[in-house]
Amino acid sequence: MKQTKFITGQDFREMFACATAWLEKCASDVDALNVFPVPDGDTGTNMLLTMNSSMEEAYRAPDNSSSAVAQAMAKGALMGARGNSGVILSQILRGLAQGIAGKESLTGADFAIALQEASVMAYKGLSNPVEGTILTVTKDAAAAVGKLVEEGDPDLTEVFEIAVQAANESVANTPALLPILKESGVVDAGGQGFYTILEGALHYLKGEAEQIRFRKPQMITSSVPMTGRPPELIAADEEPFGYCTEFMLKGEKLNTEKISSRLEKKGESLIVVGDESTARVHIHTLDPGNVIHIATGLGTVHQVSIRNMDEQHRDFLEMQKDKAPAVDMAIVAVVDGAGLAEVFTSLGVTAIVPGGQTMNPSTRDILQAVESVASDKVIVLPNNKNIVLTAEQVHTLTEKDVEIVATETIPQGVAALLALDYEANLETNASIMRQAIPLVNTVEITRAVRSTQINNIKIKKKQAIGLLDGELAAVGSSPTDVLHETLSKLDVSGKEIVTIYFGADTDQAEAERASAMVREEHHQLQVEVVRGGQAHYNYIVSIE
Amino acid sequence: MTVKIITDSTSDITAEEGAELGITVIPLTVMFGREAFLDRVTITTDEFYRRLTTGDVFPTTTQPAPSVFAEVYNKLADETDEILVITLSAKLSGTYQSAMSAIEMVQKKCRIEVIDSQMVAMGQGLVALAAAKASREGAKLDELIDLVRDALTRSHWITYFDTLKYLAKGGRIGKAQGLLGSVLSFKPILTVKEGEISPLTRLRSQAAGVEYLYNYVTSFQRIEELAVEHTTLPDEADRLAERLRTTFPDVNIRRSIVSPVLGVHGGPNAIAVTVLEAK
Repeated sequence: MKQTKFITGQDFREMFACATAWLEKCASDVDALNVFPVPDGDTGTNMLLTMNSSMEEAYRAPDNSSSAVAQAMAKGALMGARGNSGVILSQILRGLAQGIAGKESLTGADFAIALQEASVMAYKGLSNPVEGTILTVTKDAAAAVGKLVEEGDPDLTEVFEIAVQAANESVANTPALLPILKESGVVDAGGQGFYTILEGALHYLKGEAEQIRFRKPQMITSSVPMTGRPPELIAADEEPFGYCTEFMLKGEKLNTEKISSRLEKKGESLIVVGDESTARVHIHTLDPGNVIHIATGLGTVHQVSIRNMDEQHRDFLEMQKDKAPAVDMAIVAVVDGAGLAEVFTSLGVTAIVPGGQTMNPSTRDILQAVESVASDKVIVLPNNKNIVLTAEQVHTLTEKDVEIVATETIPQGVAALLALDYEANLETNASIMRQAIPLVNTVEITRAVRSTQINNIKIKKKQAIGLLDGELAAVGSSPTDVLHETLSKLDVSGKEIVTIYFGADTDQAEAERASAMVREEHHQLQVEVVRGGQAHYNYIVSIE
Repeated sequence: MTVKIITDSTSDITAEEGAELGITVIPLTVMFGREAFLDRVTITTDEFYRRLTTGDVFPTTTQPAPSVFAEVYNKLADETDEILVITLSAKLSGTYQSAMSAIEMVQKKCRIEVIDSQMVAMGQGLVALAAAKASREGAKLDELIDLVRDALTRSHWITYFDTLKYLAKGGRIGKAQGLLGSVLSFKPILTVKEGEISPLTRLRSQAAGVEYLYNYVTSFQRIEELAVEHTTLPDEADRLAERLRTTFPDVNIRRSIVSPVLGVHGGPNAIAVTVLEAK
């Protein structure tokens, strides 16, 4: 490894220039990750523009000491900060500059200490710091190098290596800390951006500034499995996003805390950073005029930027579409139960219409879901016999190209969804999905709502009944026993997998017991137990 | 002078096969922690897959350095004045970049062309083999470039994966990213499209996956050559190859093992088929 005892201010500047170039290569990929705090999709670009401004200023440093260059960079970043992430990045650079203050050259230990300052400064800039973001990544990187310094006098390259490694792990873990990331299946964009900057700096220290021209930064994959977005979020109206408002405030004896308190109630994602003479303000507000009005009372206002976030959000959606698999189509499914909704969303359903047995959605409900999705080509999976017809009405009510794949049960819906061909068009896919339906058998276990007699079987109210592909097959007192008996009516030779979705009123232990029973009887079958959370049905079981 | 063909070890052409057919195979590197192995040179497929499935260190891979290519270029330049390099997809590895930047390091007078196959494994290998054959029969570099570009459009590689874990860990998951995080277990069928990993469909069992591969191959009208590869499922892959042999008695079917470097990203229990469509 290349040893670097210390670097000069010139090296410090070149190192960050290299880091900025490295960030530039993946800025648009970072943009596409952005989901927090609002999906405006510009984190990568904002961080890059902030770095660019920082580097411009770096070349205007009064001398070539590390301290002077870092100070200039911090000033440049503050002047040019854009977006949440840009502002936080400027805070990080300001912290670094403070940590380096007075140093002619920079050692590994110096940088480690400065990074800790940076982490503290980043948290300070926010009235409500959120974990699982660039803040956490900075903190984790700082902690890792802090430990290194305690243990000895590390080389600068070594310090960066440890920082990069810690940042990488921290980014991969962000979805564990921030649910919205987990739902969206992405890592934090700002964190990824900061990791890339550190990595770019490391490339410089290792003497790889030339080689990286031909390479591209790696996007970190979440180490946490993605959970589907809960259906309520999809069905609910979108929150108004308003305007992303940014400006610079200049004056004498500015007080960032006072500015914060004045603007706090005026919007969301408020950030106020700066010093006594210059402060940078970022806020998401529905009334930018009022915010600017208040600001003019606090100092002189410069570099005002007001952007409509609805437009930003639309651009973001467009970009997301580019990221999606080649198929330009959306799938709407009617599903009851949080667990089942998660199964469907995790398999790629775009919108969920809550509903099922006894809770049949209206045509309007389905139509709304069809209209809400971004694609003009939509497949609808009704997943219930009583909803197929309702769904078919949607054809006449929408301009969109809609195919109703008449799934009558949840297992049929899952089978159809899995069969999706990522390269085929709407019509072909609808046909492929229809072909998948008869390949799966469905067993449903529920309670009789009244006493009756069907197929010579007497049923008492509230007894457990088992349906095999919609036909009554067994009756009994225990749902698990009835499941067992119903399955015995099916020829399972040639079948491979049984999936048991257990309902809201069935506990996991009981479902595991049912699963063990099936395994016992049919050794060749693989059995999977999934919490479905559906009402009315103790078990919905697919056999395929 | 015959044109010399170079490809990388992810083509699943072994060094011995290469030597026989006039192809220089440049190995990528597999790393288990700090232990570095040259793909199929200093680690056998058996040893690699044993460590992959039983060890607790997650392996990583690296491209050959430009200097490795340069050394081969310089050596071959003593025997020829035209070299054709066929690399795996540049979107999946920096091998292409290494091969390109090595050109500047060649002092001797020799024309070197590098083609990004936008493919992997036998999807790249069958094309490299076809190029070597044409070269032996006297084709010049420009003809070979046309031949390779045309063959690549006819080369289709799809694979059954047991898990997406390895692809995701290695950061090569590409457009199949959306398949991650499912509550329900399934087996993906993936392909390489425009140089990137892309999803084709999802199935629930290995048997269904192998059936899908079989049906995929039989959906082609005219086939020039086929390949069946596996990571750790030799028997299932043999059975599939046998079935295909019965269906296509006149077509040559290559059987091979996925090279360790690709195995790092594919993981155990994967089976791939390559269809080289006839013109």
